[in-house]
Amino acid sequence: MSFFEIDHVSFTFPRHDRPVFTELNLHFDRAVITALVGPNGCGKTTLTKLMIGVLRPAGGEIRLDGRPLAEYSLGEIGRRVGYVFQNPDLQLFCGSVAEEVGFGPANRGCQPEVVEERVAFYLDYFELKDYGGVFPLHLSQGEKQRLAIAAVLANEPFFLILDEPTVGLDAYRKRLLEDYLKKIARSGRGMVLVSHDTAFVDRLAERVVILENGRVIEDSGRKGKAADEA
Amino acid sequence: MKLDPRTKMVMVLCLSGLALLYNTPGRLLLLLAVTVALLLIFRFDPGAIGSYLKPFLSLMVFLFVIQFLFSPSGRVLLTAGPVHLVTTGGLLTGAGVVLRIMVVTAAAMLLTTFNARDFILGLVQWKVPYELAFMVFIALRFLPVFRDELVNVVTAVQLRGIDLKKVPWGQKIAMYGRLLLPVIYGAMLKAQRLAVSMEARGFRVYPRRTYLRRLEFSRADYAVMLFFTAASVALMTLHFN
Repeated sequence: MSFFEIDHVSFTFPRHDRPVFTELNLHFDRAVITALVGPNGCGKTTLTKLMIGVLRPAGGEIRLDGRPLAEYSLGEIGRRVGYVFQNPDLQLFCGSVAEEVGFGPANRGCQPEVVEERVAFYLDYFELKDYGGVFPLHLSQGEKQRLAIAAVLANEPFFLILDEPTVGLDAYRKRLLEDYLKKIARSGRGMVLVSHDTAFVDRLAERVVILENGRVIEDSGRKGKAADEA
Repeated sequence: MKLDPRTKMVMVLCLSGLALLYNTPGRLLLLLAVTVALLLIFRFDPGAIGSYLKPFLSLMVFLFVIQFLFSPSGRVLLTAGPVHLVTTGGLLTGAGVVLRIMVVTAAAMLLTTFNARDFILGLVQWKVPYELAFMVFIALRFLPVFRDELVNVVTAVQLRGIDLKKVPWGQKIAMYGRLLLPVIYGAMLKAQRLAVSMEARGFRVYPRRTYLRRLEFSRADYAVMLFFTAASVALMTLHFN
């Protein structure tokens, strides 16, 4: 059984005539890094939003861990799946960078020392240590992107969905992110990457799914195991 | 019915003014019925009325509870020891507050039945300085943006694994309280960026503006404006007497 099962899913945006997906079938396994690629407007982001329950399919069903996604609350989905939005501004809502990273663990009942430890680790790893007290929206685009990723990773979800995670990152930070994602994959956690960064996808993805006009035009299936290379 | 945007602005002012003045649920309910009827006349999608009001639902429930708890009067319906929890007067006050929000929100929907360009043009022809008219328009445009921002924050919070339905109310209020300031500040930053973007595209670069089109009042406009103003003044006079 796959972690995510997308079963004959159809979706059309309100007040739009053209459907984004018609009877789409896809599955994503727990320990595989899958890249979702395709031209602008082909439905990559829409698909990820359907997968986290922000959008609801008009037809068909999405199952998460064997259970229909519609039976989960957003909070329950968030505990299992970490989602990094395409635009980090949409998911940064705390008063400081440190608070942003610690928000998930602190509100999910982690002990204060665990929260502190995680915040220190992720701020250090994503080189945000000097910005702990800064208002998140005052950061540069690349810093905001790193913060959004750090805040999601601090939650330690089973599965990750990253929508354009390398936008705004320099080559060195891309490499850092890549190393960390490989480390996560080694621990048996899978992810879906939406990206136009072909070099990043080539280095990291074990499976590449190409979407065009809301349809899967190519699915490489699982090839090498990127996590083993790390 | 095709009316000048300025006529609709007068209608909104009259309806909102009466809603702020009235405090009994009966009158406010009547005012709400009139407002909804007007929206339907202007071919406003009935489903959209509900979706516009939906984001205010939690605020309305909150205010309703606060009002009936803290304005006890009339017959006592429920007590907790010596405390009068639910009273007929409290319920009426709570219902009045909720209906007032509904009337003001529904009346504001009338402003969405014409385009932004006409809104600015209407105000400018009323001798409102262009900068001020544009500011009012941007403020109105920012309301849905601000609402979307709040929706995004609530979604983002839940996607960090927080099940808001299971969080106790006290903790939830504290959490929202902590998040409110960053959201407001974030909206201010966006407004600042918008201002820079406008300046960069030549906003106010010339001292005088010209307009290709002029709005003209029709007889229907004069009749509707006269009717609404006279009816509002009469109802206000009746209310104070």
